[in-house]
Amino acid sequence: MADNNKEDQNWEPKIVAFVCNWCTYAGADLAGISRIQYPPNVRLIRLPCSGRVNPFYVVKALQEGADGVLVSGCHPGECHYLTGNLSARRKFSMLKNFLTYVGVEPDRTLFTWVSASEGEKFAHVIKGVTDKVKALGPAKKLVKKFD
Amino acid sequence: MKNIENQLREEAKKLLDDGKVNVIVGYEEGTLPGQTTPCFIESSADADRLVWNPFCSMNLAKYVHDIIHRHRDSQKRAKPEERTKKIVGVVARGCTTRSLILNLQEKQYEREELVIIGVPCTGYVARRKLDRAAGGKEIIGCAVNGDRLTVTTAGGDSDILLKDIISNSCMTCRYNNPIISDIMVGDPAPPMEPGREYDAVTEFENKTEEERWAYFAGEMDKCIRCYACRNACPSCYCKVCFLEQNQPKWIGVGVEETDTQVFQFMRMFHMAGRCVDCGSCVEVCPMGVDLRTFLKKLDKDGFELFEHRAGESLESLPPLSVHSMNDKEEFIYEPE
Repeated sequence: MADNNKEDQNWEPKIVAFVCNWCTYAGADLAGISRIQYPPNVRLIRLPCSGRVNPFYVVKALQEGADGVLVSGCHPGECHYLTGNLSARRKFSMLKNFLTYVGVEPDRTLFTWVSASEGEKFAHVIKGVTDKVKALGPAKKLVKKFD
Repeated sequence: MKNIENQLREEAKKLLDDGKVNVIVGYEEGTLPGQTTPCFIESSADADRLVWNPFCSMNLAKYVHDIIHRHRDSQKRAKPEERTKKIVGVVARGCTTRSLILNLQEKQYEREELVIIGVPCTGYVARRKLDRAAGGKEIIGCAVNGDRLTVTTAGGDSDILLKDIISNSCMTCRYNNPIISDIMVGDPAPPMEPGREYDAVTEFENKTEEERWAYFAGEMDKCIRCYACRNACPSCYCKVCFLEQNQPKWIGVGVEETDTQVFQFMRMFHMAGRCVDCGSCVEVCPMGVDLRTFLKKLDKDGFELFEHRAGESLESLPPLSVHSMNDKEEFIYEPE
């Protein structure tokens, strides 16, 4: 972690993305097979549903050194499990407010919807998220210091 | 106050003698002046131990849950046809009934297993405020006269207004009378000041990001991780807490400061839409960590986003237990 300072011109943010198997993961796949370029800063973690994302995953990712966390699922009404993303939306609206309230930058944790046909949008989202996190610099709050 | 206490004892005796309850959870005189401790009355001869005064601070819903679940565990060894139910009577003020409602909604026990003896509440004395009012000296006597409190220390007596030393949660409480009850003792209590309920939260929201973080980190720095807040909380009843899980191990056991921050953050987030603001966690904290500033934010969000207050009625479920197509979603990120 010691090399993570903003003055370092080579610093690149690490972004963890929790994505839904049915929509965003397929969207990412589409972006891939369509050869759409997007920043390589993101690490995708495939989950069955955005509703499967425990708020703890988001906080834990921040603690373990992610500079940004993205959660992406199906658009409301299009959930494979019917209501998973609606539960997720409630959970994350409160989580984001609470993180912001204790002083974590709002742009560190982002939530979005990307469907399986939106390869273009997926690339856009990743670009946007990377830019936002880059502008914030390395995460300092809630980050575990190993030494 | 004495009148309520006498009625309480009478009702308790009647319930126990009629066999309507197996045990009554209430408050009894503590070992130190100005303190009460939860007690479990099983025979009417002991009913006179029950007290009701401004020092009754703990939320008894926690004990109701524990008693019923311990009994259920012990019944596992009995043949199914021989299993019994334990009926618990509980002395409940407004916040206690909210916790009971929450536990009922979350199917922790049945309504038939409960007999709720409702008591009106005008707030309980916050231990820290009382100590400060006594000038940090050892308190050797406490006497309540109406809305005043006489505190005796080695340095003499001092007279304090009760409403100056009640818990912050009580000052702005909107549910100081029981929401559900089987038996009601005393007359309904006068309302507190619910209009100012979210003032402290709004004030905190308006601070800068750095100020907010500094306050959060500073408060969490005090935490010694005794887990008293978790143990006192009626909404914290998981048999295995995320703290004690080790596959995966969520929280390190060392002194790393972010482990404490993450533990408190997640424990509080588990209270989203479930915290009844009884103030028990703050009251039991030996280090005086200001948890309420943060917990109240979740309460405020639950109300502002989903128009829900924890334990308000048996019908309205906690906001994270239900879903709706029409929730607000300004927080969703859309790239340009």
